[in-house]
Amino acid sequence: MSETTPAWTVVALPLVLAGLAYSAAAMDAGLRSGGGIAAPLREGVRLIVQQRRRMHAADMLLVRAGVLSLPVAAVLAAAVIPLGRTAVWDLRVGVVWFNAMEVVAWASLWLAGWGVNSAFPLVGGYRLVAQGLAYELPHMFALITAALGAGSLDFGEVAAAQHGLWFAVWMPVAFAVYLLSALAMAFWGPMGHPLADDLAGGAAAELSGPDRLVFFAGRSALLTVAAAAAVPLFLGGASGPWLPGWAWSLVKTYAVLALLVWVRGRFPVLRMDRFMAAAWLVLIPAALLQALVVGIVVLT
Amino acid sequence: MGVRTRLLRFAAGRPPVFVAAAPGGTRTRLLVESELRRRNGRTAASPAAASVLVVCGRPGAALAEAVDAVWDAMPGPRALVRLDEAASRAEVDAGIDRAVRELSDVAAQQADAAERRERGPWSPSGMDGHTAQSGGHADHSGHEHHTGLAMAGRADDRDGLKLDVLHVPLGPVLKDWPAGLVLGLTLQGDVVQAVEVDVAEGAAGGVPYWDEPWLRAAAGERVTVGEAERRRAAGHLDSAGRLLAVAGWEGAAEEARLLRDLALAGEAPAELPARFARFARRVKGSRTLRWMLGGIGRIDQGFAGRHGLTGPPARHPGDVLARLHGWLDGTGEALVRTGDPAPLRGTDGPRGPVGAMPSRAVLALLPELLGGAELAAARLTVASLDPDVEQLTETAWTAHE
Repeated sequence: MSETTPAWTVVALPLVLAGLAYSAAAMDAGLRSGGGIAAPLREGVRLIVQQRRRMHAADMLLVRAGVLSLPVAAVLAAAVIPLGRTAVWDLRVGVVWFNAMEVVAWASLWLAGWGVNSAFPLVGGYRLVAQGLAYELPHMFALITAALGAGSLDFGEVAAAQHGLWFAVWMPVAFAVYLLSALAMAFWGPMGHPLADDLAGGAAAELSGPDRLVFFAGRSALLTVAAAAAVPLFLGGASGPWLPGWAWSLVKTYAVLALLVWVRGRFPVLRMDRFMAAAWLVLIPAALLQALVVGIVVLT
Repeated sequence: MGVRTRLLRFAAGRPPVFVAAAPGGTRTRLLVESELRRRNGRTAASPAAASVLVVCGRPGAALAEAVDAVWDAMPGPRALVRLDEAASRAEVDAGIDRAVRELSDVAAQQADAAERRERGPWSPSGMDGHTAQSGGHADHSGHEHHTGLAMAGRADDRDGLKLDVLHVPLGPVLKDWPAGLVLGLTLQGDVVQAVEVDVAEGAAGGVPYWDEPWLRAAAGERVTVGEAERRRAAGHLDSAGRLLAVAGWEGAAEEARLLRDLALAGEAPAELPARFARFARRVKGSRTLRWMLGGIGRIDQGFAGRHGLTGPPARHPGDVLARLHGWLDGTGEALVRTGDPAPLRGTDGPRGPVGAMPSRAVLALLPELLGGAELAAARLTVASLDPDVEQLTETAWTAHE
C-alpha cells in the first residue's frame, strides 16, 4: 500500500463514480417503471432545461450548500475506497474519513430541508435527524468491527486482512448492520422516510431544475459509495481468481449496489418512531456483541 | 429541427405527472392512472417534481384555487391537462399525448415563462398550501419577518417544551389523498396538535362513483350482484393501494392498483382471484408492515359507536393494520361473487350503507383520532379510513374541533 497513486486517478475517480451512480439510477428506473438505460439521461436533460422555482423567503444559500455538498461528500468518501488495490487517497484512517463524509450528507439533507422554508421539507429534515440517531451508532460499531478484525483503519489493510475468509462470513451481524445503514446513508428504500411520498417528497419536495438534479445525482452517488465501501470492508476487497483486482472490485460493488437498488419498493418504509427502539435495543447490542466476539478472536 | 427542440422532445418523453382529482372525478382518475401505467409513466409526489398536471373532474371554487396554486408551483416547461368527469379512455390518451407535445413546444413554453415573469414571484397574500407559514394562535404579537410573512408562533407542546406552531393544510391536492378532503393541521415539530376538517367540493354533483351500482339499483335500475361486487373489490383495492403507498411500499401499492383496474375491466380475467390471493398473502405476511402499521389510529367499539361509524371500519375495529386486513378480506369475498347474475338488493356499499353518507362519520371522528399523532401516523390513519368526499357533495359540510 506504499506505492504512490498516479495523478490521473484524481480525474478518473469522479468519472468511475458517475458511471456507477448512473447505472444504479438506470437499474432503479428499469426495475420500477421499465424506463431503460436512457431513463436517467432523460430525467437529467429534463431537469437541466427546467426553470428553477422561486420559493418565497427561502434561504437559497443554505439550500445550495445542502444540495451541492451531497455529491461532494460522495466523491470525498469515494477517494479513500480502493479500486483494485489503489485508492486515490491512501489514508491511514480511511474508515474514519469515510464515516465523517457520510455524516456530511446529514447536514446536506437538513440544510436543504430547512432552507426552502416549507413545512413538508422541514418535517423531512426532522425525520432525517431521528434516522441518524437510530442508525449511526450500529453503523459505526459495524465499521469498527471490521477495522478491529484487521487491526487497521486503512481500507487497503482491512481488505488485505481477509485473505482466505471474508469478513462478511465470520462477522455476519456487522455485515447485515452495514447493509441496513448503507440504505440509511443514501435515504434509500426502506430507510427513505426523510424523502417519503407521504410528505410529497419530504426534504426534496420543493427542489426543481438543476437543484433537483444535483440532489438526486448526489444521492445515487452516495448509494454507490456505500456499496463500494462494503467491498474492502466485508467482501475481501479486490481479491478473486482470474480477473484483475480492479475488475473484482467493480463486480463486487455492482453486486452490492444491485441488491440495494432492488430492495427499494420491496419493503414498506421504516418509521423511526418504531425503528428507533429496535435500533437501540437490538441492533446496538447485537453489533457490540459482534465486536466483542471479533475482539476475542483477534486477541487469541 | 433545432437542438433545443430535439432536447426538449427527448426530455419530454416520459414526463412525471402530478394528478389532482376533484370529488366527482374518481372514474377519470382511474382512467388516468391506468393510462399512465400503460405508458410506463411516472407520477410525481409534489408539484416541483412534476412536468404535467392532470386535473381529473371539475373542481369547485376552493379546490380550483388549490389547483391553481399547484399549477403556479410547477416549474416550466410544464403542461396542464383538464379532463372532466365524463372523459373517455381515448380522451385521456389524447390529453396526455397533447401534454407531451406541449412540453417540447419551444414557442409555447417561452410564452408561458414570459407571462410568469411579468406576473412576478409568488407572494404570501395569496393562498398557498405548501409554503405559507402563518402565525400560531399562541402568539398574537405577530412579529413580522422582513419578507412579509409572519414568523411561526410558539406554544407549549405535549412535553411542556416551547415549540414553533405551524399551520399546515393537508390536501385538498396531495398524492395518495382522498380527493377534496382538507385537514387544517396545527403542527409542533411533526406532531399533530389540532385538526380542522373541511372539504373542497367538485363542481359537478353526480353520483358517487364507488356507490354507483347500489344507488342505481335503489333507483329501480337492474344491476347485478356481480357488477356491484366488482365495484366493491375495486374500491377496497383502491383504498388499500393508497394506504400501501402512504406506508412507502411502492411495489405492493402498484400491484393493488393493477388488481383494481383488472377488477373493473369488463370481463375480469379468470386468474384474478388467484392473483389477488397471492397479493393478499404477501401483504398480510409482511412483518415490516405489521410492525409499522400495528397500534396506530386505533378505533375501538365505543369510539366507533359514539361517532356513528358504519361500514368496514366499524366491522373491523382496531388499528390501521386491522382496517387494511378488513379491506383485503372484503376484496377476497367480493371477487368470489363477481359472476353472480342475481339482481342487486340491499344498500351495503364499499364504505357502508349507501345514501347514509358513511364517510360523514369518518370526517367527524378525524379531529379526535388524529390529535397527538405524528404526521406520518396521521397520514396512515386517514388513508386507512379513506373517506369518500363524493358522498358528501349534496350538503356543504364542515366540522370543527
